[in-house]
Amino acid sequence: MTIASIHAPVEDTRDRTNAALGMAIFIGSWAMAFAVLFISFLILRQRQAVWPPVGVTLPSLPLAVAATLTLLGSSFALHRSVSALRRGAPFTSWWTAGLVGGLVFAVLQTWLWADLWAAGTTTFTGGTYESLFYGLTWFHGLHVLCGLGALFLARIGAATGRYGHQRRAFVVNAAVFWHFVDVVWIVLFICFFVP
Amino acid sequence: MSHDGIHPEPTSFWRKHVFSVDHKVIAKQFLWFGLVWLLIGGMMAMMIRWQLANPGEPFPVLGALLFPSTGGVIQPDTYNVLFTMHGTIMIFLGLTPVLIGCFGNYCIPMLIGARDMIVPLLNMLSFWTLMLGGAVGFYSLLVPLGASEAGWTGYPTLSTTVGAPGSGETLWALAVFLIGASSIMGGINYITTIVRLRAPGMTWSRLPLTIWGMFFTAILNVLFLPVIGSAMILLVLDRAFGTQFYVPATMIDGGGGDPILYQHLFWIFGHPEVYILILPAWGFISDFLSFFARKPAFGYRVTVGAMLAVTVLSAVVYGHHMFTTGLSPMLGESFMLLTMIISVPGEILFFNWLHTIWRGSLRLTTPMLFSLGTVFVFGLGGLTGLYLATISTDIFLHDTYFVVGHFHLTMAASSLFGAFAAIYFWMPKMFGRMLDERLGKLHFWATFIPLTIVFCVMFWSGYAGMPRRYYDHTYLEYLRDLQHLNVLTSAAAFLLGAAQLIFAFNFIRSRWWGAKAPTNPWEVGTLDMAVPSPVPYYNFETIPTVVTGPHEFSNPAIPDGKDWIFQTEPLADRAAAPTDPSAQPAASH
Repeated sequence: MTIASIHAPVEDTRDRTNAALGMAIFIGSWAMAFAVLFISFLILRQRQAVWPPVGVTLPSLPLAVAATLTLLGSSFALHRSVSALRRGAPFTSWWTAGLVGGLVFAVLQTWLWADLWAAGTTTFTGGTYESLFYGLTWFHGLHVLCGLGALFLARIGAATGRYGHQRRAFVVNAAVFWHFVDVVWIVLFICFFVP
Repeated sequence: MSHDGIHPEPTSFWRKHVFSVDHKVIAKQFLWFGLVWLLIGGMMAMMIRWQLANPGEPFPVLGALLFPSTGGVIQPDTYNVLFTMHGTIMIFLGLTPVLIGCFGNYCIPMLIGARDMIVPLLNMLSFWTLMLGGAVGFYSLLVPLGASEAGWTGYPTLSTTVGAPGSGETLWALAVFLIGASSIMGGINYITTIVRLRAPGMTWSRLPLTIWGMFFTAILNVLFLPVIGSAMILLVLDRAFGTQFYVPATMIDGGGGDPILYQHLFWIFGHPEVYILILPAWGFISDFLSFFARKPAFGYRVTVGAMLAVTVLSAVVYGHHMFTTGLSPMLGESFMLLTMIISVPGEILFFNWLHTIWRGSLRLTTPMLFSLGTVFVFGLGGLTGLYLATISTDIFLHDTYFVVGHFHLTMAASSLFGAFAAIYFWMPKMFGRMLDERLGKLHFWATFIPLTIVFCVMFWSGYAGMPRRYYDHTYLEYLRDLQHLNVLTSAAAFLLGAAQLIFAFNFIRSRWWGAKAPTNPWEVGTLDMAVPSPVPYYNFETIPTVVTGPHEFSNPAIPDGKDWIFQTEPLADRAAAPTDPSAQPAASH
């Protein structure tokens, strides 16, 4: 291969494998960051005689369930969208559905925090439970924001024709990242809402 | 995304020298960044040694400038800042950028035959994230109440708002997080590049050992930097938002945080970090010893296997940092056993190096001297590690200068020597100029001798009971008798510091006015040595096809009477040539 022949206008399978491998390494890496948070959760929970500790205002379960279902639905929509994209079929409606689902999740999550904060439970007044709840969900929330940004960029790119069947590595990776955010949320949900 | 990560030639100044996506330019940026921080961190070490040798005396010349309010005397809180930031700077802002940032970036595409990293943009982001981390770290030195005083380990409760009320500690944690993020970006790029962009014929067993070292380092980076990232986030939350992850229950009603949790998280990262710093150096010297002994690297596959074993084991030995925390004895013994086991691959590497140079025709160039120096100081450091792996002796030696001597020899001195070897070796290819060999050799001996004295005397004083991190030990009677050892250590340390000026002079002079480098200054066959010095922006005119291993020295099947061959050149009689490099005959004399 000489210098003249190097620019490829569209990606090929090699580029897609490169992108998928890079993303897989990133997810594996960043899973360690969340693993640390969950280990911290388990250790600090172990230190308490009763869980949840006595006198703690628990975050709203119905809101959390609604948020979880929305997020699962959003992940499902993105999965359908990516399958369509791989086949070369129209994929933008499913993608938009996934994006809207993600936005609704963000709203529900904010509501959950606001609800708890309004009830007088803040990080400054609380103990272990509040520290863990706010700390872990905030950290997850940052990833939701990044994920929404990526989903949004992919949607814009699809609208302008930048992304499509021929050029889809970014779109696929954005969906993969969203699934990761989804899985982490499910573990968080189990930690805080399943007795 | 384009093939082989190639990008058009940059034309503007900003694109060419500042926001460049070219891996070679980014490597140079990492190098300058790391060297400047090594200078700052080294200066801090000088101040620490000054205080230990002459407690309460004003630090000469610079002291009056830096601490005008005390007339140059280092105050206790300043002393804490100095040893904290010395460790943080040397590890995160000095050695990591030079070893991994610079040489990872330069070597990986050049030695595997690629035109750039797989995601050049991520590479650039990695540098600028590090730059931001460095800026935050530097800024923390200037805030009211000063920078972090909690030690480079940042243990709570020293690092909580109770122990460190100033914003310096928060900034320290943020800086470490940013630097970690930078390493993760680099690591993802390195692994993907090595897996996906090797030139045709560059099989895994033809990779230079430098690349293997960098590969394992990158794996540890992506797995364990997120751990310190999360630990730092929890620390920042504790400090800024009043959460109680690390604040113990006795301090606040209803709390239930656990300072020991932090120690676990820190050392889950911290022990692999030691190997993150040493694996690149191991890779360099495994290659250099072969290059300058004009012999194939002995036991190539075994060396790679030993590095892999160390990489895996490094993840499961961290508990030996915590023997004195009240760890369950059973857990302690498991960690002790695993730590002992890690010395087995360590020794395999060591003996492979010795066998590589055994009966070789040694060329004692500066990179070779630094490689031999690495072997020596790593041997010393490794052997003393056994005393610290054993619980019974560790409890006695814990937090003494014995530990300081041990970890400086292993992770600091060996890594630094490896970095110097690499700088002397690749400078011609990176900048197109040779470093002066006579000054280089002077630099080696002026570094090697004082360095050995500094850290070996620390074993002595540490064994005698000299504790770490004491501001003024002379007010304790039993430590007053150790003062002559501290004075000796400090004197050698000042010589060691002064010797680095030789390097600084040599580096600056050679960078601009040194002799022009030939294409293949060291007569070795790796892919980068076949392209002009300095390397053009596209690296390889045509992606090379690799047919031989990296260490085919003194092979009788090499044509033209040379003792080396490019990796792209076939051996004369391939059927007669043994395929396993380690099975080949040694230099013929």
